[in-house]
Amino acid sequence: MSETLNLDWSVFAIVLGGALVTWMTRIGGPWLIARVRLGPAANAALEATPGAVLVALVAPAALSRPSDALAAAFVCLIARRVPMVVAVVAGVVAVVVLRRLI
Amino acid sequence: MSTGSFAVPASPRQDFASGVVHSLPIVAGAIPFGFLLGSLAAKAGLSALDMGLMSALVFAGSSQFVAVELLDKGSAGLAVVGAILLVNLRHLLMGATLEPRFRGVPRARAGLALFFMTDEQWALALRRGPELSLAYWYGVAATLYLAWLSSTVAGTLAGALIADPTAWGLDFTFIAVFLCLLAGFWRGAGSLPPWLASAAAALAVHALSSGGTWHILAGAVAGGAVAALQAKGQGRTRNV
Repeated sequence: MSETLNLDWSVFAIVLGGALVTWMTRIGGPWLIARVRLGPAANAALEATPGAVLVALVAPAALSRPSDALAAAFVCLIARRVPMVVAVVAGVVAVVVLRRLI
Repeated sequence: MSTGSFAVPASPRQDFASGVVHSLPIVAGAIPFGFLLGSLAAKAGLSALDMGLMSALVFAGSSQFVAVELLDKGSAGLAVVGAILLVNLRHLLMGATLEPRFRGVPRARAGLALFFMTDEQWALALRRGPELSLAYWYGVAATLYLAWLSSTVAGTLAGALIADPTAWGLDFTFIAVFLCLLAGFWRGAGSLPPWLASAAAALAVHALSSGGTWHILAGAVAGGAVAALQAKGQGRTRNV
């Protein structure tokens, strides 16, 4: 047998543990929220969560350097006007050019 | 069989295909990172089988990067599992926003569908809006899953580190995709305060601990808090 198929049992145990806790975070959201009654404020918070998560996901990377911030602003401008694929490709091209220039 | 609040499409095959097509820009960005993760795993002494099992069973990119880094450092098993849990805690919030869809879906079906909930899966599902069907969900899931599994295994087999993906601007693919998805959540000027709060909190926490994903939780909590304050403010003006 080649090395490719070596299974390290201690790694496998970690993988199983990681898989279990990850799956629990995935099924836990709907499970928890179905069991609590939300007021209007909590509901507004939950509705704002997707946008806030996306902002938090991109903010550190998008603002890490001026070239990336400019390209990110460019993508925001065109995002609602062109199909997503076009906006993504245009953004990547923009960032490559801007990183060379700035 | 009940599908809860998921749409029942006229043509599930077509919905599945839409899911596949919409995932392609994400796949283009994910493959180099999968390859990079695989090569890091090889460096950490993992076999292609180890890596394949991790991608197949955990299927959560950022947490896998953290896990491989910790394995490389020789951390204890429990510490690695704990780190995976912390990095993936954000799924709780994401899943909570999908709860209306899963209401009434049989538990086993929901548990299986939610296994595939990554950041990208979640964002594309929300963007799909009322048209979201399980066929679309699995179109996205199957594409992302196969791309991630094959690219991480290929990276481990190739072994050596590939060139830094940032050199080709490929790291920016994720930023661009998430910004496009974010644009879909714009509901006028009222969206701005929670987003600014989220950005500020995320940047602050990221500056303190750039390695983890705590900044995502911080941003989500800050944005949610501001939105709750906005809702309270509106309630008060209505009462006056």
